[in-house]
Amino acid sequence: MSATKSFTINRRQILQLGALLGGTAALAACGGPSIGAAGGAVQATDRDWSGITPAKEITWWSNHPGASRPVEEEIIRKFREAHGIKVNLVTAGANYDEVAQKFQAAAGTDNVPELVGASDVWWFRYMINGQILPLDQLADHLEFDAADFNTTLYNDYEYNNSHWAVPYARSTPLFYYNKDAFKKAGLPDRAPKTWDEFDEWAPKLADKPGLMPLGLGKGTSWIAWWFCNMLWGRGGAYSEEWTMTLDTPEALAAAEYLQRLVFDDKVAAIAATDYVADFGAGLSATTLASTGSLSGILEAAKFEVGTGFLPEGPRGAACPTGGTGVAIAADKTPEQQLAAGMFLKFLTNSENTAYFSSNTGYMPVRTSARDGDIMADVYRKQPQFRTAVDQLETTRVQDWGRVFVPNGDKELTTALEKIVLQQADPASAFKVASDAITKSFEQNVKSYL
Amino acid sequence: MATAIDVRRRAADTAPTLRRRRKPWKSWLLFLLFAGPNLALLLVFTYKPLLQSFYYSTLQWNIGSAAAMPVGLANYVDWFTDPSTPRVAGVTLVFTVATVGGGMVIGLALALLLNRKLAGRGLARTVVVAPYVLSGVAVGLLWLFVFDPNFGITSALLNAVGIASPDWYNDPGAALWMVIIVYLWKNVGYVALIYLAALQAVSRDLLDAASLDGASAARTFKDIVLPLLGPTTFFLAVTTLLSSLQSFDIIRAMTQGGPLEGTTTMMYQIYQEGFQTGRAGYSSAVATILFAVLLIVTFVQMRYIQKKVHY
Amino acid sequence: MSAPAQTRVSGTPQPTSAAADGSGGMAAGPAPAAALAPGHGRERTADGPRRRRPANAGGYLSLLLAVAVMVLPLVWMLLASFKDRDEIYTIPIQWLPSSYDLSNYADALATVPFDSFFLNSAITTIVGAGLKITLGLTTAYAVVFLDFPFKNVVFGIVVFALLVPQQIVIIPNYTLVAELGWLNTDQGLIIPGLASAFGTFLFRQHFLTLPVSILEAAALDGAGHFRRLFRFVVPISAPTIAAVALVSIVSEWNEYLWPLLVVDRAEMMTLPVGLTLLQNNDGVTNWGVLMAGTVLVTAPVLIAFFALQTRIVAGLTTGAVTG
Repeated sequence: MSATKSFTINRRQILQLGALLGGTAALAACGGPSIGAAGGAVQATDRDWSGITPAKEITWWSNHPGASRPVEEEIIRKFREAHGIKVNLVTAGANYDEVAQKFQAAAGTDNVPELVGASDVWWFRYMINGQILPLDQLADHLEFDAADFNTTLYNDYEYNNSHWAVPYARSTPLFYYNKDAFKKAGLPDRAPKTWDEFDEWAPKLADKPGLMPLGLGKGTSWIAWWFCNMLWGRGGAYSEEWTMTLDTPEALAAAEYLQRLVFDDKVAAIAATDYVADFGAGLSATTLASTGSLSGILEAAKFEVGTGFLPEGPRGAACPTGGTGVAIAADKTPEQQLAAGMFLKFLTNSENTAYFSSNTGYMPVRTSARDGDIMADVYRKQPQFRTAVDQLETTRVQDWGRVFVPNGDKELTTALEKIVLQQADPASAFKVASDAITKSFEQNVKSYL
Repeated sequence: MATAIDVRRRAADTAPTLRRRRKPWKSWLLFLLFAGPNLALLLVFTYKPLLQSFYYSTLQWNIGSAAAMPVGLANYVDWFTDPSTPRVAGVTLVFTVATVGGGMVIGLALALLLNRKLAGRGLARTVVVAPYVLSGVAVGLLWLFVFDPNFGITSALLNAVGIASPDWYNDPGAALWMVIIVYLWKNVGYVALIYLAALQAVSRDLLDAASLDGASAARTFKDIVLPLLGPTTFFLAVTTLLSSLQSFDIIRAMTQGGPLEGTTTMMYQIYQEGFQTGRAGYSSAVATILFAVLLIVTFVQMRYIQKKVHY
Repeated sequence: MSAPAQTRVSGTPQPTSAAADGSGGMAAGPAPAAALAPGHGRERTADGPRRRRPANAGGYLSLLLAVAVMVLPLVWMLLASFKDRDEIYTIPIQWLPSSYDLSNYADALATVPFDSFFLNSAITTIVGAGLKITLGLTTAYAVVFLDFPFKNVVFGIVVFALLVPQQIVIIPNYTLVAELGWLNTDQGLIIPGLASAFGTFLFRQHFLTLPVSILEAAALDGAGHFRRLFRFVVPISAPTIAAVALVSIVSEWNEYLWPLLVVDRAEMMTLPVGLTLLQNNDGVTNWGVLMAGTVLVTAPVLIAFFALQTRIVAGLTTGAVTG
């Protein structure tokens, strides 16, 4: 029968089939984590960096904070001119969280970049996962001049006597106000010194229909960040080291104050999508936004924009720092790490720091840059830039419960959003967050310490 | 195509005639050569990962970490005892019921409308189906702007008729309805199309006969049309349920599961836990639970609905 | 008891719909023609002459409403894509842009590499859908025409995969693809989603209706199975294949979750993933530019849809009618 004749299986076809099935088996064999192997941070080991030749090409995952892509590209171009090393700039996400999620998921693959953005709420997690390199030895070898970094900003990345990243696009929240609206309300041309003062001023701003005195933003990596101001200003804190302290009267008072602004006095509102856009469109008279948004706000607003320190609470000024540093991946060859270190040094040298800051609004992370000519010029033209730098004096290190525990920020965000969107009872909302964070600490952090 | 219909002898009936005098292993190899690649892909990228997923669900494993710890059923216990689970399950249920049920009701209404002899209905049909072929991300983004409470059109239109716009982005309940509306907008055309095809297959003779009998339109619909649409309804129930449970792009583009997890479906939770918080083991446990639910619902559909519609 | 009566009613048209099965791909084909033929409509008297006018008025009103709901968001997107920031962030809303210049489009094209997004989408769609169809055809052919003791089991395995959503298995698949070094590659984008379950199912249904005489003739000619499939079966199945292909193309083109996970380099992104790069969370989201990007992503698909609508509609209904 022709059917039989028409198809004779030859050896090649059998081999092909075998290869196919073999390939299937091989594919099936790999994938997944190993069981019970020790995890935890990379240990600093003595390496003689002087005998190593830097790699010719490295990759940097960034979200271009403050729409800084052209700035970053320019620095990369200059670096290549100076050292002949190519840096591939990759947009690994639209914000810090997305970059971090990509970096986490890429662990153990050859897709890991040499350099990665490491924001306040993420670098610690990179560290306990063993994904990043302690930088001190490399920094010594390359003569980073770490002493010139702003001490607060550099030591944000310190744990166990090692530094795990260098500061790059660092920011604080700022108080932004609409000068036109302030003038119409008969208010002085400055930010309120304290929240009490804001309480006095707000009704005057609220007189105008369609104008909300204070517009606030929500979401992860944001709401729990600016709330530090209200929390700390009233003497509260998210945590003391690893112990959650959200059940203290001070913490509850801070949450109740926020609720009063929104629900009782009706002088503050949570923006639906984009608090910066609402402020820029004149819907809210004031807002709390990052220093990194300064250039964007100045560009978008149709009115004169004023900036000031965050208002003080009864217990004084309180301001967190945030933004991102840059870390070097552990899972790379010394050659690649050396090249990455050279780029880090270049990226954060005095000249490039000033260049980056003046184009974005992020704080100059080096003292020499802060006091240099470029920034002096910027302060003169746009005094708003100066505010963030001056405010740095009042900043303090963040609470570990928010930034070092996986999901810490997320749980706090949920609690605060419940409090401010649904008028949930602060005590119970905070309790849920505290329990979850404590549990996460025990599961994800404790064993690695 | 027309030839296909009136053939009496079909390939399947005569397949044995092609089977004569062949050494079995050769025909097996031949079969494997034809079906093997597809089968291999299914084994590698569907069935093996399905089993792996069951296994991962017993681990405490951060996706960024090379090591994991076996924890037995702890992830399942965590999910069932987590304070956010009732909300996630509720959101999933509301989203699924509203998109599947709502989709079928609206889709059928549209199909009946498009089945009437109205001028321009061909164009209308095309317009109604058009969003179905668009990217869910693009649809989500464009609707995000439509729903913007300050600068979008829904609030402007609602305010124009004196209704205060819901706080789509800050109120978890409103946000859920927002993504449901967008999902329906994108997908209801497909349901309408399928119903329309089914209506057109039956309506001409039967409907005319029924109306000659003097049956009222409503009774015709209830007693004749609806039962005839049974198989189609069953098909749609199964397929739209599957796609509804998998919907991801609209939620991701519009709300990222928020506000306050108000739009976090189990599907979205799998993504969020696995790739955002990095709890791969926990995420796998949610995936396994969702899979179990999916299987149960599908089998119930097969058993119960199929019986009812007299396939 | 109404149940037996119902059984009889729904039993009667069974042959009718079965007959429609064979022309499944064409079932919706005549619909637009009928709708556009003006004379046809007058013959329908289901509503009775007296009640026709108000009913039709209501019908037209509903039709208009349905079309408006479908079109309005798209128009809003298109208008926004021409607006300046001032025109967007304004209360009350401003419907029309002051000018129709293309600066937002220029911005969108300058901010992200749309050309490579487009190319990547095209590659993954064409290669992915092409291979998927081929796999579906060969598998269905094997299940229908070849001899194998467990072919029903095989078919069961294939069809059961329809019940395993891709999302259930993303973590193992991601891990596998990452370990193979396939992140940011075409194969990483394409291969994991390549297996054909739905296509196999539809092709099998279709093959079962094929006249066996053709295959017998082919066998007598001495044609091998591959030739029988691609020279004889495929040509006479063209409408079904086209229908399935169009549906595959649409879903590959719009695929989001998987490309989002496996690609992070802009030059490897597909359109849906790349589009989200225009959302900037740190500065002010510029809706004008974002909407311009969204127009760039949706417009080609809409144009293709309107051009090929008869075929696509046929493709979408094939599954339902045969299923």
